[in-house]
Amino acid sequence: MYPDHLPLSAQLNQAHAQAWQTISAPGDFFTGAQRLEMVRVSRQSVDCKLCKARQSALSPNAISGEHDGHSSLDDTIVEMIHRIRTDPGRLTKSWFDHTTQTISKQAYVEIVSVVTSAVIIDTLHNSLGQGVPSLPLSIRGRVGKIFNQDAVEAGAWVPLLAAGADTTDTDNLPEVPNIIRALGLVPSAVALFFGTFRPHYTLKDIQLSISQSQAEFVAARVSAMNECFY
Amino acid sequence: MLLRASGQNENASYNINSITDSQLESGVKHGQHLRALTEAAISSDWLKLAEIRPQIESAIGRQQTVDALVVASAFNGITRVADATGIPLDDNVALATVTLRNETGIQRFEYTEKSDRYG
Repeated sequence: MYPDHLPLSAQLNQAHAQAWQTISAPGDFFTGAQRLEMVRVSRQSVDCKLCKARQSALSPNAISGEHDGHSSLDDTIVEMIHRIRTDPGRLTKSWFDHTTQTISKQAYVEIVSVVTSAVIIDTLHNSLGQGVPSLPLSIRGRVGKIFNQDAVEAGAWVPLLAAGADTTDTDNLPEVPNIIRALGLVPSAVALFFGTFRPHYTLKDIQLSISQSQAEFVAARVSAMNECFY
Repeated sequence: MLLRASGQNENASYNINSITDSQLESGVKHGQHLRALTEAAISSDWLKLAEIRPQIESAIGRQQTVDALVVASAFNGITRVADATGIPLDDNVALATVTLRNETGIQRFEYTEKSDRYG
């Protein structure tokens, strides 16, 4: 997926190629064609005039209108993708509640997984001067409709993967952080996102040329820029 | 919190406030270069990134430059997972970081506070 001259690990290269393949195939609530369309809409949102106007407003809810571009996806899904891509720091519970009046929480979780996995891949490509990778052809097939019926309400907007008490390891890090549980309502969403993410970063003993502190500094700065509380 | 923990593991002390205040030195090795790479990547300023990447590669090395961008791109995705699902802080983290969150201004990103602010 990346040119050989770039010093990226084989695991990362393989993980991104696998993620692209997975996105192009049917998920549990959307077809491969719909999932690829989510990536296309996400890319389109970066230059969306409505999104830019909202980003400049004190509250995104102060500005209404239509997003740029056409899509075969439902308007609610298009709105969701644009907001996640262009203004994630100002997503709110009421926005989530409004969104999930139209689409199920399971579908919501799958969209989050597809869009955020593609954000990782597109950001790295662009950062390395490669431009975004072309989208594969969609793979036909039926959606699985599989979700985790044991997911639990635990203070998040969506039901989370069930986990024991908040036990910690020797470094005082939670054994199962909530971020790992966040997409747990749809197991295939967890697999897609963390399959993409895992070769990039580990909580300790990071396998990169930069130190753990340097990686945490970069991560913390991204979190602040995206106004991420977690 | 993880930056502070890594500092403790490395017997170093980092200025956590530098995360939200770019005028402050972090104390992290090559912090200014890492910050510049991260900010260009996350703000999608690809022209600026193309301009500074060779300079930073000369200063800190090509592999380190690429690896910083590997981490930044990952967190550009995972922060969106957190923001879109409204997950709470892990209990032990929430307890251990009350002061830190207030001092750095991170508390204003808390999801209930955002909901009150933006509707």
